[in-house]
Amino acid sequence: MPSKVSVDVLDKIRPKLRALVTESAKRLTGLQHCDVRMEFKEEKGAMSENGQPKASAEDVAFDFGVRVIAGGKTASPGYYGKILGPSDVKNIETVVWEGIEEAHRRARSSARQKAMARKQFGALAESFYAMGLAPVHISQDTIKPIFRDDPRSVPLDATVKMAVEGCQAAKGEGSSVVYAATSAVTSLIRELYVSSEGADIDYSYAQTEGFCIVIGSGKDGTVEIYDFTGHQRGWEVLTEGHNKGVISLKSFEEFCKELGKNAEELVKAPRLKPTEKEVVVVTDPHFNTLVAHEVVGHPSELDRALKFETAYAGRSWFFRDLKDNMIGKQVASPLVSAYSDPTVEGYGHYPYDHDGTPSRRAYHIRNGVFEEFLNSRQTAAVLGVEPNGSFRATESYLIPLIRMSNTVFAPGNRDPQEIIREVDKGYYVSGHRTPSIAESRENFRITAVKVYEIRNGELGQVYRDGGITSDTRDYFMSIDAVGNDFRMYPIPNCGKGQPMQAKRMSNGGPTMRGIARLTGGGN
Amino acid sequence: MLSIAQLKRSVSDALKYLKTQKDVTEAEVFASANENLTVRLNYTSRIPSNGVEEPKSVESYGLGIRVALKGGDGVKTGFGSEPTNLSLEGVKKALEKARRGAVLDPEYVSLPKPTGEQPTLTKYHDPVLMSSKGGKLVQAGWASVNRALEVFQSSEELLGAAKSPDKVKELGLILGGDVVMLKERMAVGSFHFPSVQTDESTLIMSFATAMVEDHDAKGTGWGTSPSLSGFAGDSAAEAARSAIRAIGGQRVASGAYRVVLGPQAVAELLEWILMPGLNLNMFYAGASPFLGKMGKKVASEEVYLYDDGSAAGLAASKAITDEGVPTGRTEMIKDGVLKGALSNYYETQRILHDPKGKEKLGVEPSRVAQGIAPRNGFRTGRGGGRNFDSPPSITPTNLVLEGRRKRSTEELMRMVDDGLYIGRLWYTYPVNGITAADFSGTVVGDSYLIKGGRLAAPIKPNTLRLNDNILRVINSVLGIGHPPRGTVRWASDQVTWAPEVAVEGLRVEEIGEYMEGVYQR
Repeated sequence: MPSKVSVDVLDKIRPKLRALVTESAKRLTGLQHCDVRMEFKEEKGAMSENGQPKASAEDVAFDFGVRVIAGGKTASPGYYGKILGPSDVKNIETVVWEGIEEAHRRARSSARQKAMARKQFGALAESFYAMGLAPVHISQDTIKPIFRDDPRSVPLDATVKMAVEGCQAAKGEGSSVVYAATSAVTSLIRELYVSSEGADIDYSYAQTEGFCIVIGSGKDGTVEIYDFTGHQRGWEVLTEGHNKGVISLKSFEEFCKELGKNAEELVKAPRLKPTEKEVVVVTDPHFNTLVAHEVVGHPSELDRALKFETAYAGRSWFFRDLKDNMIGKQVASPLVSAYSDPTVEGYGHYPYDHDGTPSRRAYHIRNGVFEEFLNSRQTAAVLGVEPNGSFRATESYLIPLIRMSNTVFAPGNRDPQEIIREVDKGYYVSGHRTPSIAESRENFRITAVKVYEIRNGELGQVYRDGGITSDTRDYFMSIDAVGNDFRMYPIPNCGKGQPMQAKRMSNGGPTMRGIARLTGGGN
Repeated sequence: MLSIAQLKRSVSDALKYLKTQKDVTEAEVFASANENLTVRLNYTSRIPSNGVEEPKSVESYGLGIRVALKGGDGVKTGFGSEPTNLSLEGVKKALEKARRGAVLDPEYVSLPKPTGEQPTLTKYHDPVLMSSKGGKLVQAGWASVNRALEVFQSSEELLGAAKSPDKVKELGLILGGDVVMLKERMAVGSFHFPSVQTDESTLIMSFATAMVEDHDAKGTGWGTSPSLSGFAGDSAAEAARSAIRAIGGQRVASGAYRVVLGPQAVAELLEWILMPGLNLNMFYAGASPFLGKMGKKVASEEVYLYDDGSAAGLAASKAITDEGVPTGRTEMIKDGVLKGALSNYYETQRILHDPKGKEKLGVEPSRVAQGIAPRNGFRTGRGGGRNFDSPPSITPTNLVLEGRRKRSTEELMRMVDDGLYIGRLWYTYPVNGITAADFSGTVVGDSYLIKGGRLAAPIKPNTLRLNDNILRVINSVLGIGHPPRGTVRWASDQVTWAPEVAVEGLRVEEIGEYMEGVYQR
């Protein structure tokens, strides 16, 4: 059997990378900054459909990415990324150096062209600037992974068994379930970040994730439900679940069973009719997970606010320009606070971002007032604020982007049962499904897994294909109760960037009550 | 980048080795080398910006092996890959991974076999693009930025809005988007094919959005081509011109309207809402809105929807799939009748042998074998490329919508008479699942009122939400324009050849009224 390469290979590479960026790279003409990220992942997992195994694999992924800023008065960035294999280990310095040189060439070429554009276009091109990075504390650190069951020790057969049994559990919940598919994956990931400023960070973490999709079919139509479970821990996340603090994850088998049960229930439920007018809606923590993600987290990303994402992921209604924006202004009810915090345990946890910035909590909305964007060193410098460590890539061969971490609505102090009991006539919106959000996040439509009628404070009829829609500020301002049942959930598929990067993070919140219009089936 | 000859030799040597392995009953070897050169654009006239924001690239090469292995409890199938090592050592590592991960899949039939058809495309890639490096990338980015700035600088409308040349920048001009250059080489061989096949493809895609933000005016430009020649940043210039034309946008009341959908809007609806239900694996899963409807009318008679990876000269054409099968035309809907679905080899074989196949398709699968032939087995990901470390999934190539009668834009406008032209949709998702076919999305630019059959005032971006159902929409087609335009969206791996389409009764809802008072001009 061929010899196995593991995350330990980075032990010998780390000092070599450090030497490349702190010594060799600094000799490149006009270089102002260079950083290199390198990642090694050991991963195994399996997939199943309808209780039959479809695939399993155990493999490693090894890659690196470079950023260079160079070019004097019109300093510009250049980037390079490459997917590596174990056979590159012996020549790693040569391979990485070629990447540094190419990134440097791109940076200088772009800087020259920027200078020419400034001359050609006069006033219109005055905004072309010399890119810089806001200062941060330069860190050297080594962080070890946390797990009980080491992903590397899990037999591959165990992942197949997990996927197959999860599928069978979902299908076993009733005859309406006509199809189920699952995947179960566990990994150990090690990232190096080194920079010409002397940053030298070695961060390892475990990551275990399960996915299940269920199709239920009945005489009144079909329902499709899917969800993810996962955490930055070992295999125990799927064998037993994880219950600590605000994170409450079932075992994979129970997780799949619940999806199957929901499909069985919903296929018999009527489709919700949309409402012309607004109604009282009580939204549960799982639904608010997607609300926090889509209409708090995303418009709080500073690259969107600074128009970087105008062609792709959109802008932010929190920001028009440097003089005209919502910082310090009321955007929500005083009961609403929301923040991102990579320092806490969650699927979006990390100690440093891919600028080498130590992570910290950033409040986006505090008591209804907009406060702080997620940023990078580059964008923090533009706004003249302190970096808050929100710059991360999904793989090191890709460029980091400003991303959410553990981005949530903060808890309140109300009993969620009381929040429902106070409603004479309204709806309870449970479990998130699919969003459609306006370009600057100023309006949203988000569908739910289940919507219950509330009559005289009690839950009644359940409906499928329901959800809510509202203009964002109107909805935020209408929030009149925030529960004490704060929960956080894994979101593994947030897409951003070109090429697209599907990022893992946590979102969450408590039960909340507000006003919105209901959406239903057929519109 | 590795040469075709190196990839071919590696596959050939790998197959020779695999034939010596007693447990290997079938094997397929896929070797590829890919480079994605992308430059992101970011210009903002009143916020510091780089212009060319991210000149970057991703390179990868390696090989992937699929095997069928005989064992005590039956035939198992596995997949393994090895990056950056095409030597025999690399083959052995990939095989070991495939053996370790092999599973007993009772629905497995075989690895791809020759279909009897022959590839029709040869030497269609652009050698200049294939040999281009980072310098061309940066050049392409600045060519785009400069074209947009030229349009902004020479615009009489902007000068009129700003009152002086020095104040034009204060209007909040924005240019974003990208230029993507894809370079792909592959070789594939298997026990079932007589020889190792190779393919080389190149694709350049450009997508740009411009704004005059103080006037809430937004415009889009885009382009696709298999070749670098003639690339001059046109899409950025187009975006800037479209943004300027959109100054003076108005709000529209909620209601149901006759609408002309522009190519970007059509591509968005096709790719996100309609096409997931036209993949054969969704029929297998019982999750297509077209379940049981093969051979039945599912859309207006005007609708002709097909995918054609073999079309000469179209941007996303390839000679063979990543399974070694020739590309070709798969008709999905013709004259409004459901004819087929996109597939790879595994899914085609699975449905042909599925005891519920007739129930799922609505006819015996063998009777629509041509409609579900495996012409779309590709190994995509990473924003493009033919990736050695992925087993083949189902991916469109050139997705084409045509009308039975080829209408001009003017004819479509006259059909609508009074209504809306919707140029670009955004964040358009199947909000109640693929089968329900409901969708929601917002109108973000390039849109106009239509009055008396002509374009009238622009529609303000981000003020309308579409809430409708795709089955209703494709059955409410008034007319389809011609010719279709090669259209790309954010993060798209394919090219959609989308025409303008006139539709009856599209439901829109006015949104975001509070935004009128949030910022002062």
